[in-house]
Amino acid sequence: MKTEEQRHSQLELCIPYVFGRLNPGNRKQFEAHLETGCEQCKRELSELYEAIALLPLLLKQEAPPSGLRQRILSRLSSKRSEPPRAAKPIPQRGVVEASVTKAPPRSWYLYASIVMGVLLIISLLFFLNDQLRTTGELEKKLTDLQAQIQEKQDILGILQVQKVEILQLANMDAGSQAFGRVFWEPEKRHAVVQVVNLIAEPADKQYQLWLVKEKKYLRVGEFDVNKEKSNVFAVMTLPVGERQEIEGFAITLEPRGGSTQPSGAIQLRGATK
Amino acid sequence: MIEECVQQNALAQRQQCDREDADLLKRIQRSDQRALATLYDRYAPVFYPFALRITGSHEVAEEVVHDVFVQVWEKGNSYATQNGSVYAWLAALSRMKALEKVRTSNQKKKGSDGEALQPRAPLENEEKQGGQETILVFKGYAEEVRNMLKNLSKLELRLLELSYYEGQSQSDLARMLRIPLGTIKAKMRRGIQKLRQAPAQEGKRP
Repeated sequence: MKTEEQRHSQLELCIPYVFGRLNPGNRKQFEAHLETGCEQCKRELSELYEAIALLPLLLKQEAPPSGLRQRILSRLSSKRSEPPRAAKPIPQRGVVEASVTKAPPRSWYLYASIVMGVLLIISLLFFLNDQLRTTGELEKKLTDLQAQIQEKQDILGILQVQKVEILQLANMDAGSQAFGRVFWEPEKRHAVVQVVNLIAEPADKQYQLWLVKEKKYLRVGEFDVNKEKSNVFAVMTLPVGERQEIEGFAITLEPRGGSTQPSGAIQLRGATK
Repeated sequence: MIEECVQQNALAQRQQCDREDADLLKRIQRSDQRALATLYDRYAPVFYPFALRITGSHEVAEEVVHDVFVQVWEKGNSYATQNGSVYAWLAALSRMKALEKVRTSNQKKKGSDGEALQPRAPLENEEKQGGQETILVFKGYAEEVRNMLKNLSKLELRLLELSYYEGQSQSDLARMLRIPLGTIKAKMRRGIQKLRQAPAQEGKRP
């Protein structure tokens, strides 16, 4: 059983540990201590990580170059469809070159068969490359479809529960045909927002759902409206779930990534009372 | 009274963000690319300038953000609650990767005439104001944090910044600033204690 003093000495190590400044020996010892399941140190670490993570919030926010997002997302797809090493042509070319230089030039048909062989290998490589590219594209489509299925399952999961609340959202513009609904499960605070006929947002904007409580707008989440679809569903988590706590919902158009308070005009709105 | 209300609102925003982030991470673990894209939209504008502050290079800061989000995709299940919230975990990953890039660059340049990566000094008032024209993640909460940091003395904030952005150890700081090691430790502890008084931190304590 550890003494109070020993526990205190481990807590002392938490600060240099979160700053990554423990020497390898102390770090190993401290990590071994964490593996024993010391809840006090784990809680201390969690709070320290949380505290020092406040510092980046003081910096002026700046979006990275626009291509980075796409580069990351395409890397996720291509990583799974990366061709196996054996498919690379380099070693095979080496073998052919070696046979050209080392084999004795016995007759013309030997050269002809080597040339035919090389051509055959090149054609085979082109064929394999095409097949791999097609496989990669299919895998990407499969990943997208899996994500869509998962989202549909999440939506169905909420709609199928016994106690689901529904609120209609009406549009604020007489010329628009848009409308919406919010379905939510009070206990778990899971929600589905459905919007119909909302116009597709510009590239730098996103629609944002707000929950109104005590006349204040609480951020719920952002979603996109696809140009090809007039009916869109999005899954979200509400800050509160009980109907009596919720005065209503509203949807606004905000800068991409969302805002902490509505800055755009209200597109759709519904009140519970 | 008004101040208390603002604090509660900021806390609610932060807690809501934390809940959404936890949901996003679960979806990322199930290979949902859209969840990663949402997490990126939310936090890349925070971690890009953060990596820039540590490395002083736009190009390297971009690499850091790239590596962080690829790692989240590949090793999202390595997140543990002792790392704090998902946001705190991302901040720790970004810091670690940025400092690694600086260390590698310094080692490479040691024997050559090229310039090593240098931390970028904050622009005038940058750390006080935050970005008004760009997307702000939990803006109200960030403002609360900024107000709260006014309670830190200049030395406490300086020590935390040197440790956080430049990876200086407490002994390095004692040597560099010619202040006894005991004082450095005490000041840093006090500075962190003040950071822990932020609304979300208070809310997490039993």
